Amino acid sequence: MWNRKSKWNLIIFAVVVLLLISSIFFLWMRTNIEVRSVVEEQYQNQQLLLTRHVAGGIQQTLNERVSLLEVIAKKDSGVPDDNFESDLKSVYEIARLFYVVEYVAENGTIVSGYPEESVPLGFNLYENDQSRAFEYVKTNNEVYITDPLKLMEGNYGAFIWIPVYEGDEFRGAFIAIIKESDLKDRYVVESNSSSYAYLIDDRGRILYEGDHNYKRGALYVDIFGSNASGLQEIVADQVNGSEGNGKYLLLENGTIYEERLVSYSPIEWYNQKWSLALTSPSSEVDRLIVSVYLKLFIVAMVSVLFIIFVSSFLVIILYNWSKSLEKEVGEKTQELKESNESLRAANKKLKELDRLKTEFLSIVSHELKTPLTAMRTSSEFLRESDECSIPVRRQMLDIIIRNIDRQSRMVDDLLDISRIESNRMKFHKESLDIEETVNTSLEMLSAVIKEKSMNILVEIPDDLPQVYTDRDKLVQVFVNLLNNAAKFSKKNGNIRITAQDDSDLVRISVSDDGIGMSPEELEKIFDKFYQIDSTSTRKVGGSGLGLSIVKGIIEGQGGSIVATSEQGKGSTFIFTLTKA
Amino acid sequence: MQAENIGGKILSLMEENPGITAKEIADKLSMPVNKVENALESMSDTRQKVLIVDDEMDALLSLKVVLEAEGYNVAEAKDGHEAIDKVHSEKPDVILLDLMIPGIDGFEVCNQLKSDDMYRHIPIIMLTARGEIDDKVEGIELGADDYVTKPFNLKELKARVKMVLRRQDI
Repeated sequence: MWNRKSKWNLIIFAVVVLLLISSIFFLWMRTNIEVRSVVEEQYQNQQLLLTRHVAGGIQQTLNERVSLLEVIAKKDSGVPDDNFESDLKSVYEIARLFYVVEYVAENGTIVSGYPEESVPLGFNLYENDQSRAFEYVKTNNEVYITDPLKLMEGNYGAFIWIPVYEGDEFRGAFIAIIKESDLKDRYVVESNSSSYAYLIDDRGRILYEGDHNYKRGALYVDIFGSNASGLQEIVADQVNGSEGNGKYLLLENGTIYEERLVSYSPIEWYNQKWSLALTSPSSEVDRLIVSVYLKLFIVAMVSVLFIIFVSSFLVIILYNWSKSLEKEVGEKTQELKESNESLRAANKKLKELDRLKTEFLSIVSHELKTPLTAMRTSSEFLRESDECSIPVRRQMLDIIIRNIDRQSRMVDDLLDISRIESNRMKFHKESLDIEETVNTSLEMLSAVIKEKSMNILVEIPDDLPQVYTDRDKLVQVFVNLLNNAAKFSKKNGNIRITAQDDSDLVRISVSDDGIGMSPEELEKIFDKFYQIDSTSTRKVGGSGLGLSIVKGIIEGQGGSIVATSEQGKGSTFIFTLTKA
Repeated sequence: MQAENIGGKILSLMEENPGITAKEIADKLSMPVNKVENALESMSDTRQKVLIVDDEMDALLSLKVVLEAEGYNVAEAKDGHEAIDKVHSEKPDVILLDLMIPGIDGFEVCNQLKSDDMYRHIPIIMLTARGEIDDKVEGIELGADDYVTKPFNLKELKARVKMVLRRQDI
C-alpha cells in the first residue's frame, strides 16, 4: 500500500509528531518543576512565618514572666515584711506558668514562696552546696536561667534566678521554676499534620522533639546519625541563633527516603538561646500541588491527543491524496497503454491490409493472365496451323470464347468489389418472390449442377411473404452461394435451400454437405482481400471474390450474413432480407 | 508402375509368340482389350513425351493441342501429386510445370524430382503467371532447366522445349 518513498515520509512524520509530543512532556515537566520550586518556596516562607510567630510567642511569654519578677526585684523600698510573699503570690497568679516562685534571702536561705506547699522553706543553698547560681546572680547582678534540671519532684524544669537589690545592696534572689511539661502543654498541640517541631539549645541539644525518643541532653543531629544529609548545616545555623529555611535528605540504606523542609527561628530568653524549628516532608508540597500537576497533565494529554488527531488526519489526507494521485497516474498510464495498444493493433491491421492488397493484386494479375495464356496459345496456334481439322479449330475457338467470358466475369467481379468498397453499389429494389429467384439461379447453374449430379432440395413455404430487394443482385447472391456449394461438394452431394419468416425479415439459408472449412478459414472467408488458400481456391476455379461480393450485397441492403461450417461435413450460409 | 509391368508382360508374350494379337494378349493377362491396345500403342510411340502440369483446364488443353500438333506425345497432370505419379508411370522426356498448382506446388514437385536419382535427368520448364525475379531465381536454384512466363509466346515455348530436349540428347 505504501511504497518505499512514502514509508520514509511516514517515518519522518512520526518522528516529528514524537518530537512534538516529547517537547510537550518536557514543557510539562519543566512547568511542574518550576511550579514546585515556587510552591516550595512559598511553603517554606509560610512555615518560617509560622515558626517565627511561634518562637516570638514563646520568647515573649517567657520574657514577660521573668520581667514580672524583675519589676518586683528592682523595688527600691527594700524587702517587705512578708519577704515578698504577697508579691510572689500575685506574680504567680498573673503569670500562670510558674511551677513555683521563691525568695532566697542574702544568706542563701529560702524564706518565702508560692504556692507554699511547693516551697522548701528554710532550705539553705550554701548548706546544700547549691549556691553556684546564687553566687552568679549576686556577682553579675543579672538574671540567670538554668538548663532544664531534674526537680525534687521528679520531673524537669528550668530555674530562673533573678537578683534582688535595694539600691546597690544585694538583698537576695528570686527563684522561679517553669516546668518543661507546663511549657509543652501550653504550646504543643496534637495535630494530624505530617510536620512536627523541635526545640534545641545553643549547643544543639534537644529541648523538645515531637516524634522521636531521645535521651535527655542528646544532640539533635545524633537522632538521625549519618542518615540525614544537610542536617548538620541547618543545626549549625540554628546554634548561631540565625533564622531561616533549609532542607535535608533522609537516607535509608544509602538511598533517598525523604526530603524534609525545615524552618527555624531563635528564641532568646536571657542567657538561654534556643532555636525552634518546624519540619515537614517535601511530599507535603507535592500534596499541595498535586491538583496543579493533575491539571497540567490533563492539559499536556489533551495537547498530545490533539497533535495525534491532527497528525493522523494529515496522514489520512496525504495518504488519500497520494493514493488518488497514484490512481490518476495509473489511469493515465493505462490510457496510454491502451492507446498504444490500439495504435499497434491499427498499425498491424494496416500492414495486414497492405499485405492482403499486394496479395490480392498478385492474385488478380494471375487470374487475368491465366485466361490470356489459354487465349494466346489457342489463337497463335490457329494462326499458324491453317490446315488443322475442323474439330480442333472448334475446340480452340471454344477455349478462346470460354476464356473471354471468364475474363469478363473476373472484371465484373472486380468492379463489384470496387463498388462495394467505395459504397457505390446501387440497388434497384422491388418486391419479388424468393422461390422464383431461386429457380432462376438454379437454371443459370444447371450445367454445374448436372456435371456434379447434385441433389437440390428447395424448402420454401408457400405463404412466405415477398422480399424487397434488387432482383439481379439477389440472383448473383444465390448463384455465388450455390456455385460455391457445388464447387466444394463431391459428386452426388446435397444442396438445401430454405427460407423462413422471421418478424420483419426473411431468413434464407443455403447449406451443403461438402468438404467444409476449418474455423480459421471460416473466420476470414468474407474478408474483402482474403482468399483462403489460393491454390485450393483455384482447384475449384473462381476469383475468390464471390463471398466478398455476396456480403457486400446483403449488408449494402441492411441485411446480415453468417456462415457456419464443419470440416468434412459441409457449410451453411444464412442471410436475411427485408420483407416487402 | 502398373503400366510398366503390363508393358513388360506384353513384351515377353510377344517375344514368345511373335504372331500374337492384342485380343490374345488381353485374354492371357485377363485384362480389357482396349487397355492392351493402349499399352501397345504407347509402347510403339516413338515420339518424345511431354508432361504438362497445370490446374487450368483451358491452358492445359490448348497447350496439349499445340504440342500434339508439333509431334509430341503429351501427358497431363492437374496437381502436384498427379504430376509425381505421371512422371513415375509415363517417364516423360520433358516436364512443363506450372508453379501455382494445388496439392504440392511447382517448386516442391521440382525439388522432389531433382533430388531423385531416377528422375533428376528429366528437364523441367517452369510455367508461371508470376513474373517476379525471385521466382526465377528459386526456380533455377531448385534445378528447373528453364523458365517461361505466362502468357507465353508459342514459338518461344516450342523453341525452349526443343532446346532442353536437344541438350538432353547430347
